[in-house]
Amino acid sequence: MNYEESQRVGEETGDGGVADLLRESAPSLTPREDPNRLVERIVARGTDRMFSCDSPLGEIYVGVSDRGARLVGRADSPEQFALRYRERFGRFLSWGTDARTRRLAERTAAALAGQKTDVSVDLSETTSFQRRVLEVVMRIPRGEVRPYGWVAREAGSPKASRAVGSVMANNPVPLLIPCHRVVRNDGTTGRYAFGADEKVGLLEAEGVSVGELAGSPYLATPTTGIVCHTTCRTARRIRPENRRPFRSVKEATAAGYRPCQVCRPAVDAAIPEHGAAGR
Amino acid sequence: MKRYELLPCYISVETGFESANDMRSFDPLAHRLADGDLDAPRELVERHHAELYRYALALLRDASSAEDIVQEAFERAFAALGKYPEDRIKALSLRPWLYRIALNVVRNTWRERRREVTVAETPEGTDGRLGVALGSAPGSARETWLDTLGALERLSERQRVAVALRYFEDLPYAEIAEVTGWPENTCKTLVRRGIGRLGVLLGEPDGIGGR
Repeated sequence: MNYEESQRVGEETGDGGVADLLRESAPSLTPREDPNRLVERIVARGTDRMFSCDSPLGEIYVGVSDRGARLVGRADSPEQFALRYRERFGRFLSWGTDARTRRLAERTAAALAGQKTDVSVDLSETTSFQRRVLEVVMRIPRGEVRPYGWVAREAGSPKASRAVGSVMANNPVPLLIPCHRVVRNDGTTGRYAFGADEKVGLLEAEGVSVGELAGSPYLATPTTGIVCHTTCRTARRIRPENRRPFRSVKEATAAGYRPCQVCRPAVDAAIPEHGAAGR
Repeated sequence: MKRYELLPCYISVETGFESANDMRSFDPLAHRLADGDLDAPRELVERHHAELYRYALALLRDASSAEDIVQEAFERAFAALGKYPEDRIKALSLRPWLYRIALNVVRNTWRERRREVTVAETPEGTDGRLGVALGSAPGSARETWLDTLGALERLSERQRVAVALRYFEDLPYAEIAEVTGWPENTCKTLVRRGIGRLGVLLGEPDGIGGR
């Protein structure tokens, strides 16, 4: 310590002129740019952004990369959500005070309130199978549901309905990608990351009659000879006296109906979940 | 495209910034970063961007490069922090750690410039560059500054780094050693010789010291 101090004193007396000059002038070397803008630019580049938002599941947090929403979820606190995000993506979250994030927050709120709005999502950290599945699920309209087996077939892997289940369970952006609209092949709603009851509540709020669906995931009508998913928009127009419920597409085709071209029910989806699980 | 350069930086960045932590004052911001505080990243930038800019400017003498350096240094810092476990973030001495990252970025720029200079065979140091950097400084101070930074540029890179950290940034020698990875005594020698050389380059130290 003493040695170092004496060294420093020696230095200062010896070269005081230059050293003082450097010291004194240091504060005048400031960035040209407005400091707030520079800070904002650095934060925007170095971190991902977060906002919170009202949703049918209560307050949710949304983490956003420069490509779009990357993680959606509930948490006890913003900090807890930020830690979860960091663990998953290795990026820090900061509050999204910039114009771009605010616009995305508005669009997200509108979409979660049921309006037709596109919210960009960032699926860059998912595998190609996961992405194919999530992109199929993204297109299931509000008020309709589809079975796991159908999603698997639409994603190009007809035998992977159980794998679809686990993609749904790990969906990074629930609600924005409506994994709650994917149900069991027998028409019962099944599990949900936020709880099975929440899933039923969400679907009913979207106009799906969950009770009716459970016994009869498919609906046919003799007037056209077509069999649909029960929630398909064409099936909902069938008059009550013409409604012919079915447990599987197989039974319906055996009865002479052909699959709807709008909702494309999967003929070979034979309720594998119960059969395969052996429960 | 330049990503391959990040890896060695992360590795070199890791050494020595946690071990001596007990002796240093506890930094609440490091803890808030570790705990997921969403205001902490911005505060880190607010707290350090001006000094990192000054440091980069002293080493590069070019205002727009200095801004790029600061931006890239923070980008690398956040990328590295994002992969650190919580305990490690808490134990970091953020200030010298950031100087170290900035120094690595500056070194890359030096390397690129040397390459460009060799290819284009351009003479070094066009003095127009600094005028923009010192927009806010009043007339005479500004001229002194141009002289000082011009002289600084003529020191060896090692001397420049050591002098800038010691006198612009007011880092103690222990931290200069930490930032640069050089032994403390080497840092002292570099500073002493650098200051001596600056005195010569700027005319007599008395001429300036008399103010």
